[in-house]
Amino acid sequence: MNPSTATSASAGPQPAGRVTWVGPALVAAALVAVVVVAIVFVRTSIDELPVYLADRWFVLDATSMLFLLVIDSVFLGISVYMSSRVATWQLSSGQVLARAGLTLAFMVAMNLGVMANNLLLLWAFIEATTICAAPLVAQGSTLSPRRVAWHYLLYSSMSLAITLLGILCLTRSAQLHGLAIDFAFDAMAGSLPLAIDGWQRLGLALMLFGLGSKLGLAPLYSWLPETYEAAPTSTSALLAAVQFNISIVAVLRVLQVFNGHDTGFVPHELLIMGCLSLTVAAVQVMAARNYKRLIAYACVSSSGVIAIGLSVGRAAAYGVLLYVVSAAFVKALLFLTAGRLRAVYGTNRSSALAGVIRVLPFSGALFAVGTFALLGFPPFGSFIAEMLVLSGIVQAGHLIAFTLMCTMLTIIFVATGRSIFPMLWGQPEQHRPPVREPWVTTLPKIGFVIALVLLGVYVPAPVNALLIRVAQSIGGH
Amino acid sequence: MTAPLILFLAAAVIPVFFGRTRSAPFWLLVQGIALGWVGVAYHGLLSGHAFAAFAETLVVRALIAPQLVRLAIRRRSEPNPDLMPSNLFAWAIATALIVLAFEFGAPDAGGHHALTLGVVGATVAVSLMLLAANDSPPAQLVALLFMENAIALFESLLPEPWPLPVHAALAVIYLLTVAVGAWLVGAPERPVATRSTDVRITPEPDA
Repeated sequence: MNPSTATSASAGPQPAGRVTWVGPALVAAALVAVVVVAIVFVRTSIDELPVYLADRWFVLDATSMLFLLVIDSVFLGISVYMSSRVATWQLSSGQVLARAGLTLAFMVAMNLGVMANNLLLLWAFIEATTICAAPLVAQGSTLSPRRVAWHYLLYSSMSLAITLLGILCLTRSAQLHGLAIDFAFDAMAGSLPLAIDGWQRLGLALMLFGLGSKLGLAPLYSWLPETYEAAPTSTSALLAAVQFNISIVAVLRVLQVFNGHDTGFVPHELLIMGCLSLTVAAVQVMAARNYKRLIAYACVSSSGVIAIGLSVGRAAAYGVLLYVVSAAFVKALLFLTAGRLRAVYGTNRSSALAGVIRVLPFSGALFAVGTFALLGFPPFGSFIAEMLVLSGIVQAGHLIAFTLMCTMLTIIFVATGRSIFPMLWGQPEQHRPPVREPWVTTLPKIGFVIALVLLGVYVPAPVNALLIRVAQSIGGH
Repeated sequence: MTAPLILFLAAAVIPVFFGRTRSAPFWLLVQGIALGWVGVAYHGLLSGHAFAAFAETLVVRALIAPQLVRLAIRRRSEPNPDLMPSNLFAWAIATALIVLAFEFGAPDAGGHHALTLGVVGATVAVSLMLLAANDSPPAQLVALLFMENAIALFESLLPEPWPLPVHAALAVIYLLTVAVGAWLVGAPERPVATRSTDVRITPEPDA
């Protein structure tokens, strides 16, 4: 054990036994959110969408409905995990309350951001989620969590500053054409100049670059593995499986606004960023000796797949959306299970773990299932999604991108298997007795697995209708 | 119109070429004042909205943000290095970037719009250069704020300021970003592990 961590652990605050009510309160809040969204989803026909709220500042359309369902379901699982761990946090009561409060504020900003019907408002909510998440990252247990949190805040703020610069370039373009731009998504397309000029091109390129960086796309990706590894597990899951989606929503909104405009350079930008990210992820996954970092690089690779899919456009639109939804559940499943492994073994090093399946049968099995889903095996949604994206790439004639994607995914598959499989099924150097796993922590993870299988085998008709509607909004069929 | 723009650019360029980290809050204050001056020159102070935007710029960007940066730098109790490493190569690159930024603004309509675009481009370029050349968190925070100010200057090119609620929301977000950033930067550094895999964590911390 590292002496400094040992000292800090013994001298640090005692487990927050007095505020254990925080956990159930978080679960209750998450449950209320899921129930409300589910009721709205069931009671609202897709043909009634979009529904505008609060003087058209917010909108409930297919995109927001789909992502509300995803983020609130995932958060329910994360809140159950947090609730099961509150008693073991080495934090003072104030810090526990701060963590819970920031987590709730993060989710409020997420929900409002997903529903925002204004580009500037959406931008502000993405930044708000970052501001809430940075102090959460700073509560991590590495040696310099504040430095990591600062890097996260710096990269995110730079990415969002670049995005805002792009928005201003669009405004400048409209101004030079004698138009006043309307940032409401439902009116923005009509207020943009039809003839695309240099300012508009620059603005769109900057916006996609900035948002792409927020998604962890290369070249500005280095914050992602560092942050996901250093943050507390629940925060890593929040960032990877929840916050990721608000950036996806922003990209989808931009593509929806520019759908029908002549934006030939956009696919090239997305394709280059996607291919670069896959390559970087493949190299780094080969070098990773730490299972949490390995999952983080897998997140970079999934961002790459999404960018390549979006670059293809109509042929892969449905596949990309299926992939995004699947990725949210896969990332949540893997990070939460990784948190359980870290709590028991006390390390992130893959080589220090062997025979996990015998010590933690449920967590080991769920980690194996999550790894297979991550690698795109049937019968999970990610398998169908990857097939649809690959098929779209071939239809679009990008054979080099197809070859590169297949090669990099194969490398990632082999490298991940080489690290993870000995960890799960290897022979341990010393015997460890099996550890009892409370069913309540396993339940949400089983829910994630069921969702992943459903997405791969049978997508329920209402969800499928939502996916199709969103795919159509970005030019898919 | 030219004077506040030159002041704005000088407040970004002088500290990067010649300044030290502890002098950065003063230059941020100067930049905030120049930004307020530009706003008044473009939009006047006649409407309530324009006055509110002017007051927000002065209070948030010229007073609160530099003060937070100053506190963060003081809390770190570190030596006072150059904001950007002083060497001929870095100076040459920075000068080239500034010239290129003004070339970027030149094809536009001309007059103060071209000058403003040049100043925005130059400040963004200098901020990126600073981020690339210095990995000390206070310098990174200063570079981020220079960039945010450049974006605010670009916003002043709009014929009408953004609606007040949007302006207020952006100001709050800016302020929170600076506050959280200053809090994170102000914490004293503990030794950093050379390889993340070397870190062994106490079992059952706050995983």
